[in-house]
Amino acid sequence: MRERFLTGYNDFVLPFLFGMAFILTWCLVGMIRIIIRLPREDRRRFFLSFLNPKILLKDIKDIICDCLLHVKLWKRNKLLGYMHSSIAFGWFMLIVIGHIEVFFYAPHRAKLLYFPIFFRYFMAEDDSTMGGAFFFFLMDFFLLVVLSGIALAIIKRIHSKFFGMRRTTNPSFMDLVGLYSLWSIFPLRLLAEGFTADISGGSFLTKSLNSVFHAFLGNHVNMLPTWWAYSLALCVFFCALPFTRYMHIPTEILLIPLRNAGVKIRHPRKGYAEAEVYACPSCGVCIDACPMGVMKTHIKDTTVYLNRQLRRHNETRIEEISDKCLLCGKCTAVCPVGVEGDRLRIAQRSLRQYNITPDYSCIDTDALVRECSFGGQEDGKVLYFAGCMTALTPQIRKAVESVLTKAGIRYEMMDRDGGICCGRPMLMAGRFGPAEEMIRKNTEIIRASGATTLLLSCPICYRVFKENYSLDGIEVIHHTGYFDRLIKNGIIHLGHTATKYVYHDPCELGRGCGIYDEPRAVIAAAGELVEADKHHKESICCGGSLGSLTLGFDKRQAMTANALNNLTKASPDSIVTACPLCLSTFHRYADRPVEDIAEIVDRNMN
Amino acid sequence: MKENIVIIGGGVAGLEAAARLIRLGYSPIIVEKQDHLGGHLAEWHCLFPDMTPASDITAHLVGEVSDANIFTSTEILFINHLKDSYNVMLSNGISIITKVILFTTGFRLFEASRKEEYGYGIYNQVITNRDLEHWFNTGEDARISSKPMEAVGFVHCVGSRDEKAGNAQCSKVCCITAVKQAIEMKKKFPEAMVYCFYMDLRMFGKKYEDFYISAQRDYGVRFIRGRVSEVSENIEGKVVVKAEDTLAGKPVRVTLDLLVLMAGMVCNPDSTKVASMISLQTDSDGFLKSKDNIMDITSSSRSGIFYAGACTGPKTVPETLAEARSAALDIHNFIESL
Repeated sequence: MRERFLTGYNDFVLPFLFGMAFILTWCLVGMIRIIIRLPREDRRRFFLSFLNPKILLKDIKDIICDCLLHVKLWKRNKLLGYMHSSIAFGWFMLIVIGHIEVFFYAPHRAKLLYFPIFFRYFMAEDDSTMGGAFFFFLMDFFLLVVLSGIALAIIKRIHSKFFGMRRTTNPSFMDLVGLYSLWSIFPLRLLAEGFTADISGGSFLTKSLNSVFHAFLGNHVNMLPTWWAYSLALCVFFCALPFTRYMHIPTEILLIPLRNAGVKIRHPRKGYAEAEVYACPSCGVCIDACPMGVMKTHIKDTTVYLNRQLRRHNETRIEEISDKCLLCGKCTAVCPVGVEGDRLRIAQRSLRQYNITPDYSCIDTDALVRECSFGGQEDGKVLYFAGCMTALTPQIRKAVESVLTKAGIRYEMMDRDGGICCGRPMLMAGRFGPAEEMIRKNTEIIRASGATTLLLSCPICYRVFKENYSLDGIEVIHHTGYFDRLIKNGIIHLGHTATKYVYHDPCELGRGCGIYDEPRAVIAAAGELVEADKHHKESICCGGSLGSLTLGFDKRQAMTANALNNLTKASPDSIVTACPLCLSTFHRYADRPVEDIAEIVDRNMN
Repeated sequence: MKENIVIIGGGVAGLEAAARLIRLGYSPIIVEKQDHLGGHLAEWHCLFPDMTPASDITAHLVGEVSDANIFTSTEILFINHLKDSYNVMLSNGISIITKVILFTTGFRLFEASRKEEYGYGIYNQVITNRDLEHWFNTGEDARISSKPMEAVGFVHCVGSRDEKAGNAQCSKVCCITAVKQAIEMKKKFPEAMVYCFYMDLRMFGKKYEDFYISAQRDYGVRFIRGRVSEVSENIEGKVVVKAEDTLAGKPVRVTLDLLVLMAGMVCNPDSTKVASMISLQTDSDGFLKSKDNIMDITSSSRSGIFYAGACTGPKTVPETLAEARSAALDIHNFIESL
């Protein structure tokens, strides 16, 4: 191969160079901004993570799997996975092979940023380099891969149902600019390379294109405008990128090492939160996942739109969207890039100013301590905290106490006659100060009781005790896990009946704490367990969640109906859950019995 | 006169309308799902504000309709809309062609177990207003011990004016029923403390206010304004009720031998089912929708279909009687105009 031009330069590379310089500067500044605004300890942790070979390897693996191959999307939706990975991986390979070509055939040009991109314009084929056919083939192959991805993208935009998506995101104006420029880059590249195929050489795609349309593509007068168009398309895409959803491409590369380093959202807008917001690809997977999606009016309250409004700093909408959410965490569970919709919203809620801040410091814990420390310190003592939701669903408390008594377990109740809230509702409302006050008070009581096991009936309490309390030496366990253990250890025995049960995974227990198997094991011991249409981490929120600050009661009914519909697909005799809030929500509209696991255990114990 | 008139429901409204139509010379057909006439009234003990025995009223109403065709233990299988009449198919195999149908399908008592926090069906000491009337009538209820009671509580608005329970409407009669039942309990157990937990008291009817004042002054019933938050059981087998006294601004806690839930009136699902056979509309509260809620409460949007009583919303017995008479007159005028 030889160079066609002595200078190795043409004016048409300028738009590309400009775009490239712009986007590189933008990303560099953005990255520094995010890192600088991290809290000091998080920043330290982030830098230190690169010295840890285990984390570093995970970073590399995650970046390849998530950013290039889109493994998570593949698992979720093959077509969507192919579309994304064909464009991302195909483009990546075009760049890599382009550089290898330059390295082989024009190593002295390797320092020119644009040379690999416009390689086929600057180079001409001669007989000596037929070996290049291998690279030409690869280049054409990956170009075809990218083009197939683009074709799918166009189909998706027109007919999203083809991809199994009921709804997709409504793109903003800038998204459309980015979208169309991205779509145009590769056909223009094909065209441009088609023009030069008879000079620079090509493979099955470009060469054949050149031969078939020789009358047009053989005319070299049209060559330069096409290369200009290709370069301009690249320039437009790069310049528009920071203002479009495509900003997720560079941001995700930063988000992955941040996440692997253990960095969490500490500030509603700065640092990790900002990285999450810009890492959102607006794919719209969260729209179909959102339990509010049963009503069309709530589509714009999903996480993808929260991220868009956060980018636009539209405070009114941010507040509305953050307050409305049920915090069921399903969007977080299904998000292919790991945007935490629920935590992001809680962080936004913490910005709210309240006129009155309750003061819990004056609550006297002496009486409560006295009540639950009768037996004093003893090994293996169980302390049962029913929580306020369980107090409102007395059947659960009655059943749990009955099982404990029948099993001969010594326990004491922490809130027989009223207790202090676990603090989770306040945390969910973003009011961290009052929540911490309650956490401190409850910790005092638990410590003073001398218990070694804290038993809970409400997943909302369970999560906060697990995540926000420091109760070293005390086991925190939900009654589903506790009963499962009692059965496994042979302390209690359940009689098996032919009743068909379906289990509803409560948000806070399933997605929140990862407890899926224990409740199923307990139910399977008592009867026949069937699964809902969507279960485990895909489970649908009952609609009763106290996560939402503004969602009206009338709006929740449709969600409950939808969740019930999902649960009764396998026509079970009874719906079983492990959360008092889910229980009372379903109970209102269900056409069959709704029970807590504790009731089943109590009834089937022999 | 040979014009057929089908009355769906043999409760207060159905019986009274039938009686009036008989007097006008018609021979109406009463279709009743249960094996006896009288509806909810048949299960009640006595009525406010004069403590009239419910059985007297039921007996009087039933006595008036002895000439009517009565099908008890019979349900409506389907209704077909013919050109200018309706074909009503009954579960006993009889089919009736009629130009006039009167819906007196009434209400259903709110299922108190849906308000889990009150513990109905969980604690033995928690019963409903209907259970209490049944006990007044028969003296039999496994949940109520024969020992004298020390404290009794009444919870107003159970499943009424409660969006969470899916019923935003006021059931109208529970306030005064609770006052009546509180007085009756006090008469039975003069030493007992009787509490009423209410949101507000709607004493709209004749002599209701006197009745309420008498409950306080003469019987010493304690009225506490505030909703009950939760109910639990203590070791002695009594129920502990926690509520807020919103007038005192303090939480209260009382231990009771018996807690009575004033379950409200909700639309009758059977009524909705039959109405949907001839695509009659329901109102936003779930009850059947009248042609006009002021001027034309007994008419439906369809010609020949009439309503009376609690199928269009919660009503007291005198209101139901008045409406039944009015519907009978409307039906008479309608048949005349045919």
